[in-house]
Amino acid sequence: MNANFAERLAELPQYLSAHVVLSMCALLAGIVLSIPLGIQAARRPRLAAATLNAASVIQTIPGLALLALMVPLLGGRIGFLPAFIALMLYSVLPILRNTIVGLQGIEPQIREAARGIGLTDRQRLWQIELPLALPVIVAGLRTATVWVVGAATLATPVGATSLGNYIFAGLQTRNWLSVLFGCVFAAGLAIVLDQAIRLLEIAARDRRRGLATGVGVFLAVLVAASIAPRFMTPGPAGTVAAGESSGAVQGIAGQTVTIGSKAFTEQYILGALMQRRLEEAGARVVRRDNLGSTIAFDALRSGEIDVYIDYTGTIWATVMNRSEPAGRYRMFTEMSAWLWAEHGILTLGRLGFENAYGFAVSREFADARGLDSLEDLSAIAGELTVGGDPEVFARSEWTATRDVYGLGPARTRSMDNTFLYSAARDGQVDVITAYTTDGRIAAFDLMVLDDPRGVLPPYDAVILVSPQAARRPGLAAALGPLVGAIDDNAMREANRRVDLDGDTPAGAAAWLDERIAEQ
Amino acid sequence: MIDPARPVLDIRAVCKTYPGGVEAVRCVSLQVGRGELLALAGESGCGKTTVLKMINRLEDASGGSIFYEGEDIAGRDPVALRREIGWVMQGDGLFPHLTVRENVAIIPRLLGWTADDIGDRVVEMLDLVRLPIIEYADRYPAELSGGQRQRVGFARALAGRPDLLLMDEPFSALDPITRDTLQQEFRSLQAELGFSAVMVTHDMAEALIMADRIAVMADGEIVQHGTPSDLLANPASDYVSGLLETPRRQMRAIRELGA
Repeated sequence: MNANFAERLAELPQYLSAHVVLSMCALLAGIVLSIPLGIQAARRPRLAAATLNAASVIQTIPGLALLALMVPLLGGRIGFLPAFIALMLYSVLPILRNTIVGLQGIEPQIREAARGIGLTDRQRLWQIELPLALPVIVAGLRTATVWVVGAATLATPVGATSLGNYIFAGLQTRNWLSVLFGCVFAAGLAIVLDQAIRLLEIAARDRRRGLATGVGVFLAVLVAASIAPRFMTPGPAGTVAAGESSGAVQGIAGQTVTIGSKAFTEQYILGALMQRRLEEAGARVVRRDNLGSTIAFDALRSGEIDVYIDYTGTIWATVMNRSEPAGRYRMFTEMSAWLWAEHGILTLGRLGFENAYGFAVSREFADARGLDSLEDLSAIAGELTVGGDPEVFARSEWTATRDVYGLGPARTRSMDNTFLYSAARDGQVDVITAYTTDGRIAAFDLMVLDDPRGVLPPYDAVILVSPQAARRPGLAAALGPLVGAIDDNAMREANRRVDLDGDTPAGAAAWLDERIAEQ
Repeated sequence: MIDPARPVLDIRAVCKTYPGGVEAVRCVSLQVGRGELLALAGESGCGKTTVLKMINRLEDASGGSIFYEGEDIAGRDPVALRREIGWVMQGDGLFPHLTVRENVAIIPRLLGWTADDIGDRVVEMLDLVRLPIIEYADRYPAELSGGQRQRVGFARALAGRPDLLLMDEPFSALDPITRDTLQQEFRSLQAELGFSAVMVTHDMAEALIMADRIAVMADGEIVQHGTPSDLLANPASDYVSGLLETPRRQMRAIRELGA
């Protein structure tokens, strides 16, 4: 069996179980909320209109945006809770609508017969109306199930583990097998749950107790198997063993440390590297990969994650809201002081490399147009198409560069980071915003244009530690040796191994660890 | 105590005014004796169905009183009252998700009978309406003909042993042959069980054939009230004569064919 496949398969229990728990909790809560509301609304046309309108508005919010919005609404909470609430809201519309339609669709004659022979309101509802509306309600529930299981893959950027981890990580590291794993298992789970509900409906309609019990047992086992690992403490036989390693640092052994990472290759590698160091020190590590850029910071501030890697220029511009340029050392010191004073966040130090935003063009294009620096672009700005990752055009790095170098007339196109470099190589866009440590710059024969006016801020990679974790000296002791240990070349090479050679982030982290040891 | 001489149902000057001022029923008084079948006849919109619905409090009267077995129904719990009074409606009103057995058993079940008593009663009722239990008990309403469904409707209404049966156009959705058979069977059923009945119908021939007495309504009022022979002998108005004209013409035509 291929190593990539084996590794993906090893991740399956964790991702699939988290996905099952998340989507089934959301669906269950959606049912508990929607059906009573639908029953009330079916008798009150105004309430029906109001609730259906509200649910329709929620439905029009794109899934990813709804999930992301929950994080600030919950004061920076990441993980299960924001994902659960967003998915529950997502499930409301189909169940609510079908409950209302199903109940309103019952023939008035049947309602009157039920009243005329002496059923109470409650008996009418339970014995006559709900059983008759059941097929319609179940149809809504099945729609909700397929939606929620699909949308749960989008829970990954808000820090909830799901099958989306396969998709987001695979997209960033060009691991198409990983993307395929995510799609196949998400679709498979949707089909299985949809069919389970169908069978339950048949069992209810034909009163087949055996069938209902069978499906019920299957669902219970599915949920139990998904929840069970959460209540089990890690066994002593695992890779983590307190005090076993000779290099164990006192004070962190046996403790749990949550490492966050954003959604690109370098972050996965550095997350894996920190994991190696912490596990060597005897800690138990939980990974929260694929966090959105600002979500990672919010999660650190609220203590949802203990440590992650960010970049000085990013904190400067998007967290501190500073727009004026600053030199490397001034920015680092001011940022560290500010983070400590404002949030109690500890800046452990700089890793040693910089992953700046730069503007890159293919060498072919540079030669043809005689390009050397950003200043050379202003003359041809009207003909240019600039490709960027989804966030850059909203950031001050772009607006400042655009204004200083006169790039206003250029067209902009957002796309995923994965596709940017090849788009520049193939001439689909002329200029891209590139991460300067990306291995594809060299591999695709791209060149980064100079920034003679010093508009682009420095982006030194820094280790940030949450206020709570800052009080745990063992953590700093375990990660401290990484400060100053990774230079630009080392990081670029590690990135290249994943993006171009098909190595895994964990493999690249092992390589990087060895290289640090050799220094 | 049930006094055999006292009317089962005594309606005294009831009226019904809907919000907005529409007067559906104006000062109607009627009595139904034990074992009697009273027909409420008239054109649609005359208020006959409203009178019927006020008897089991599907509608509450705006004025006047209704006494059932000597007791003013205004003081009764509507649900308990409806379980004591049988209810048959146009187009059967059976519950499509329940089998014939379950439809018939529903009122005894609501009344809290034991499972054995309910089972016995279902057998008895299906026998009375001539539906062989082995063949029909476990069918769903959609698997029955219109006439069979209406038989189940009667069985359901009578399963709780009511003293009074209310019927809203019970035969109107049936084809003529089935209708005739069921009308005959209904009268023998009533003779056998001894319940009283009020039947709403727009079909004057049906009222003449089946009822002991007929109350003809127009515009929310009773315009004539008497036995079928009274009505035929002395129609009180052109409206009543008009209603009688169709059955009369049919009778004449049939008699001429026979001659």
